Amino acid sequence: MKLILPPGVSQARFDQAMAAFARVIGQEWVLATDEDRETYLDMYSPGRDESHAAAGALAPANVAQIQAVLKIANEFHIPLWPISRGKNFGYGGAAPRMSGTVMLDLGRLNQILEVNEKQGYCILEPGVGFFDLWDHLKQNKIPLQMGIPGNGWGSVVGNALERGFSPAGDHSSNICGMEILLPTGELVRTGMGAMADGKAWPLFKHGFGPSWDQMVVQGNYAIVTKLCLWMKQEDEAAITLDIKLDKPEELKWYTEAMTPLRLRGVLDGLVRITSYQATATVPTLRSEWYQGKDSIPDSVIPLMMKRFNVGWWNGALRLSGYSDVCEVQLKRVQAQIARYTKQEFAVIRGPGNASPGPSTYPLQMTNWYGGRGGHIGYSPVMPADGKLVQEQFERTRRRYQEFGLDYSGTFYNDGRSVTNVNLILYGKDDAEQKDRVRKLFQALIKDAREQGYGEYRTHLSYMDDVAATYDFNHHALLRLNEKVKDAVDPNGILAPGRNGIWPKAYRDQRGKL
Amino acid sequence: MAGVLALLACAAPGAQAAESPAQVQARGLAAFVHRCGMCHREGGTGTYILARRLGAEQSLLEKRTDLQPLYVRTVVRWGLQNMPRLSRVEVPDADLDAIISYLLAPKPAAKP
Ligand SMILES: Cc1cc2nc3c(=O)[nH]c(=O)nc-3n(C[C@H](O)[C@H](O)[C@H](O)COP(=O)(O)OP(=O)(O)OC[C@H]3O[C@@H](n4cnc5c(N)ncnc54)[C@H](O)[C@@H]3O)c2cc1C
Ligand code: HEC
Repeated sequence: MKLILPPGVSQARFDQAMAAFARVIGQEWVLATDEDRETYLDMYSPGRDESHAAAGALAPANVAQIQAVLKIANEFHIPLWPISRGKNFGYGGAAPRMSGTVMLDLGRLNQILEVNEKQGYCILEPGVGFFDLWDHLKQNKIPLQMGIPGNGWGSVVGNALERGFSPAGDHSSNICGMEILLPTGELVRTGMGAMADGKAWPLFKHGFGPSWDQMVVQGNYAIVTKLCLWMKQEDEAAITLDIKLDKPEELKWYTEAMTPLRLRGVLDGLVRITSYQATATVPTLRSEWYQGKDSIPDSVIPLMMKRFNVGWWNGALRLSGYSDVCEVQLKRVQAQIARYTKQEFAVIRGPGNASPGPSTYPLQMTNWYGGRGGHIGYSPVMPADGKLVQEQFERTRRRYQEFGLDYSGTFYNDGRSVTNVNLILYGKDDAEQKDRVRKLFQALIKDAREQGYGEYRTHLSYMDDVAATYDFNHHALLRLNEKVKDAVDPNGILAPGRNGIWPKAYRDQRGKL
Repeated sequence: MAGVLALLACAAPGAQAAESPAQVQARGLAAFVHRCGMCHREGGTGTYILARRLGAEQSLLEKRTDLQPLYVRTVVRWGLQNMPRLSRVEVPDADLDAIISYLLAPKPAAKP
């Protein structure tokens, strides 16, 4: 990838800045060749590479080096975008929102600083991957569990900072204290960590006064250098109900049935239900099922269901904890299900620690159309109400059909809200199809906005569009976010445009791709 | 914190001129397991997709005898179809060299 300079920075100034960075972190950790820039492109991007092209990357080794980098970035007005492992596939990978931004790759800060079995938490640096933490738990026989996203190749910290989630729940809700660097270089610890030697840093979330952790999550106010994350004790037993619903309209009753169980705590985590196609996209190619350019027709659905022995909707409903308690909960769950259907679901009993661990296998889904592939996700949040969820599903599926794409939807119910992750797969080299993907995405944003639903997280290219849907009082929240941004980051050097928050210096870049 | 110190201690020596080919390959194996293994050993997405494209016999990189250094290097930095690009932070050049030595080392004769 050829160099695209940061807006308003000349080649000479840029070169001076890069030389200054090299003096503080070492030349070998200033990555700014065409080949280096290539490695920070979003390989799944549905748009042009030039829309989110990094000017290079810096890989400091420690907090002091990051502080030195920030000083230079402020002096030369070089925008920086922090990443932990940069595997944010579907949302932008390791790329920045604004071309010309320099990536601050924190992959070298990769220590597991503490794992506390008794109180159930870990303290991690940003470069620690899900595989690293998993290996650490297994090698040291630590009976704690971790929430693992479908793509297990990323960073525990980076994922939590995106509000990533798994059936274990919203990973950012387990954050309890951070060490952060402000864009001006000041080192801060949040929560109880604000006391020098604060003993309850990883144990009590709020400290005294406003709570900053969630200001940093999905924000661009600070760089996280250490993160405390709660972990669950390993369960004694697990019971899984193999849910298979044969008709698309059954999503409604299932949502209604699960909601009170989740609210009363009979079920914990998120109750997940996924449409049939998810079973086919990883192990098979689309061409085995259908060659047409339009959406896969309904006639193919029974074939997929038969081959993989699945329903239209599928979900593993998991109860875990003490074995006797699980048995009692199972009775409650079965009784609740019996109020809605005569169908019985297979019950699988097993140990509480049967998780297979992180995996890269699901990444294979991008091969669906053969050749290079990508995906983006459209994920609005709505009330946990069967009728509303059913309507959202039907509306969304009609849109996929209108634009000739294959529907693949998952609903995560937490009892009060439902997050609907819609996966849109495409071939990277099919320009016409990618055009349809972008049109579908805009239609989905519009539809959800009309219903009063907003997205929980989005791809770089849609951050401004999604931020614009949060429009109460003429976008008062965005104005507040940007007021804070200008106060903590006067030169606007940190992650300009992240989640639609633009600093004064680059506000004219809003909406530009 | 003791764990951290132990980790630092064993991570210290880098590539050294005096290393024997066997030592380089051992370093390559460790780097391969850490940075490539999750995709290129049994059950990884690289293994599956290569099986689709080249057949099961060619799907495990560690069993291949036809890989060329420049090809491996180019695939790692520029990606290949569904193989993501890996930066020099993820795999520094010295590690990539060692991985290539490991992958290209003569394979022990297969059991009859
Ligand atoms: C097949 C597939 C399945 C997936 N399944 C899931 C899933 O089940 N759940 C899920 O949540 N995601 C899923 N994803 C999306 C994504 O791959 C994961 O969320 C992944 O963990 C994110 O990458 P990362 O952890 O390397 O974070 P990074 O890319 O390092 O970070 C993400 C963003 O957070 C910010 N950030 C990161 N580190 C810092 C820091 N230290 N300081 C300040 N800001 C920072 C930056 O804005 C950065 O761009 C899936 C993707 C694919 C392709
Ligand atoms: C996230 C998963 C992933 C990681 C990590 C990964 N690869 Fe791959 N790799 C793939 C996939 C997928 C393919 C198949 C690409 C295709 O054919 O579509 C592949 C293909 C390759 C090929 C091409 C083989 C051929 O015959 O064409 C080489 C060489 C390769 N990888 C080397 C490596 C090395 C070396 C590493 C570690 C430094 C690595 N890969 C890490 C996923 C990965």
